[in-house]
Amino acid sequence: MFRLFLSLRYLRRRRTNLIGVLGVGVAVWALITILSIMTGFLEQARAMMRGSLSDVLVLPLQVERPDGRTPPLDPEPLLAAVREDARVAAAAPHLVWFGLLSQVGRASTGVWSSSQYGHYAGVKMVGIDVEDEMEATELRASLEREPRYGSSVRDVDDPFGPPPGLLPHVAQLPRIVVGDQLFQVHNLARGREVELMTAVPDGDTGDWRTVRRTFVVAGSFRSGENDTDMQRVYLRRPDLVEFLGETRQYSEVLVRLQDYARDGEAVRDDLRERLGAAGLIHGEDPTLEVQTWEDYRGVLLRAIQNERVMMGIMLSLVLLVASFTIFALLSMMVHEKRRDVGILSAIGATPHGVRSMFLLIAFWEAAIGSLLGAAVGAWTATNIDRIELWLQKNLGVEIFDRDVYLLDHIPSVVEPWRVAAVVAGAFLSALAFAAIPAWKASRLEPLEALRYE
Amino acid sequence: MSSSADPAAGRERSGEAQVQAPPVADARGTPVLAADRVRKSFRIGDRELEILHGVTMELHRGEVLAVTGPSGAGKSTLLHTLGLLERPSEGRVLIEGRSAWELSLNERAALRNRRIGFVFQFYHLLPELTALENVLLPGMISDSVLLYRRRRKRAHQTAEDLLERFGLADRMTHRPPQLSGGERQRVALARALFHDPPILIADEPTGNLDTATGERVLELLFAEQERRNLSLILVTHDERLAARCQRALYMEDGQIGMDSGSPIPT
Repeated sequence: MFRLFLSLRYLRRRRTNLIGVLGVGVAVWALITILSIMTGFLEQARAMMRGSLSDVLVLPLQVERPDGRTPPLDPEPLLAAVREDARVAAAAPHLVWFGLLSQVGRASTGVWSSSQYGHYAGVKMVGIDVEDEMEATELRASLEREPRYGSSVRDVDDPFGPPPGLLPHVAQLPRIVVGDQLFQVHNLARGREVELMTAVPDGDTGDWRTVRRTFVVAGSFRSGENDTDMQRVYLRRPDLVEFLGETRQYSEVLVRLQDYARDGEAVRDDLRERLGAAGLIHGEDPTLEVQTWEDYRGVLLRAIQNERVMMGIMLSLVLLVASFTIFALLSMMVHEKRRDVGILSAIGATPHGVRSMFLLIAFWEAAIGSLLGAAVGAWTATNIDRIELWLQKNLGVEIFDRDVYLLDHIPSVVEPWRVAAVVAGAFLSALAFAAIPAWKASRLEPLEALRYE
Repeated sequence: MSSSADPAAGRERSGEAQVQAPPVADARGTPVLAADRVRKSFRIGDRELEILHGVTMELHRGEVLAVTGPSGAGKSTLLHTLGLLERPSEGRVLIEGRSAWELSLNERAALRNRRIGFVFQFYHLLPELTALENVLLPGMISDSVLLYRRRRKRAHQTAEDLLERFGLADRMTHRPPQLSGGERQRVALARALFHDPPILIADEPTGNLDTATGERVLELLFAEQERRNLSLILVTHDERLAARCQRALYMEDGQIGMDSGSPIPT
């Protein structure tokens, strides 16, 4: 009983113990807040990175196979084969090519030194089949998302439909949908004519020849992914095929699964085997031709995850510092309370009892500090957006620049298991550090301690 | 009752060891506390300094024994050894017939908690606790949380009764720094008696008090000894106090130089 009673009494009567409680509390608070924000960023980043992709990507190498055949240039056989799998929810073909975009009439004054801020923009032209694309990717969400700088398409179900007010000769032109940032940087407007220019291989001479065509901006999309919004231009796939004069009608197929978490890797492996056997991909290195979106973005995803792990490790050092504070405070306390230890031993306390009493003091400090830190940390992480706005309003300092991160809010995800792990870590760390002075206290000889004044 | 100095100690050290018989029960039964050829030495650098040279003594139930002698004679060392606060270098300490230093650590702690009460010259109260809590401390040490909760009412009653009897009814919630020396020593006495131990060890209990206050504490001490039939052993420099005890041991140079068998004439 004396262990519980005295540990609580010492905790209450010695105000320096508050430093230990605060140390642990602040460390846990910081860890939970930052880990929650990092998790939020990671999830947001994953969503963004996946946004313009789908669950599985098929990127056939359209060159001659060892058996003399070439994978078909028409996507239909591949689409049919992919859709045979019951785990596949949808599949959409893309034709991808790179080019330059300029506003009509301003190309000749362009500055070539910058691909983004001159009058030319390097763009990724993506030819899509609208209905398939809506099923297989996040295009609908990108079209419906409130534009930051651009201008929404007139009809999300028909994004290449003519914007209102076009002159008849302009209405005949093919239309494009451009990324939100590209829209802003090049001062585009819905209904404006732009020119796309690119180089394509000449089948007869083997040289490159340039092609250019005028398109009309039907509107903008916002995926939330920086590169996509800055560089991507959607066209109808037949328009792009015609523009390029290519025999190749697609360059990749995006596949959405019924349940990616469950089937992602299995479907990928099955497709590698099946499409290879059917001659629908080159098949020499199917790991490059059929990938999950996580394989495709693997390096970046791992980088973000590593960042979170590194941040966790760095912040754990704060926990160690807090635990060291408890160690220092408890060591001081053992020194100050040597006489008390002697008295307790003289009236019957065992060394184990003395050790437990000092460990209990550390336990209370860790318990109060970590639970308080966890509560405040979870609250902070949940309300980080409101807190940031309040600070911005009252201190006049912009802590989180929403334009930099292309986010409307500070993402934050409080994961209960992570909170529990941090609290448990704080506990174990504090107790481990406290064990040393507690052990020293229990080793004091009663009389030696009593003689200490 | 029987006790003896240890004149053979010097001879033993010089190799002329003589076998001494361990304390045996006399007509009054097993002594509650006994020292059997207890030696205590300390190492200071390379030198070994022997403080107790094979002391043998006994204390029976209800007996009051004073230990006197000049400073450095080994009185306090003997008391601490008897109180199981210090391990003898040689010899045995017997508590109610059991050789205490052959017991486990926990058993010795239990003996200090329940069978021996300590009163120190400097009171040795915990400053963070009130007078009442200081008295309750032995009960808190002996009981688990659950047991203490069950016995809490009775424990409080015992502690409050003791403090009331010692004239501290209005001082129960005061902490040691708020109490006078005499009051602190009375609290220490109440704490020593909480478990109603058969043995009370007092190390110069009035050494830090003025005469009048010390007298009051002694009155209480002797009254409780009589009331509870305690075996009391106290160290004192005060010959008048020693004279009030049934028996006195005079220690000199780490040995019992004289056992009065009766009060020392002042």
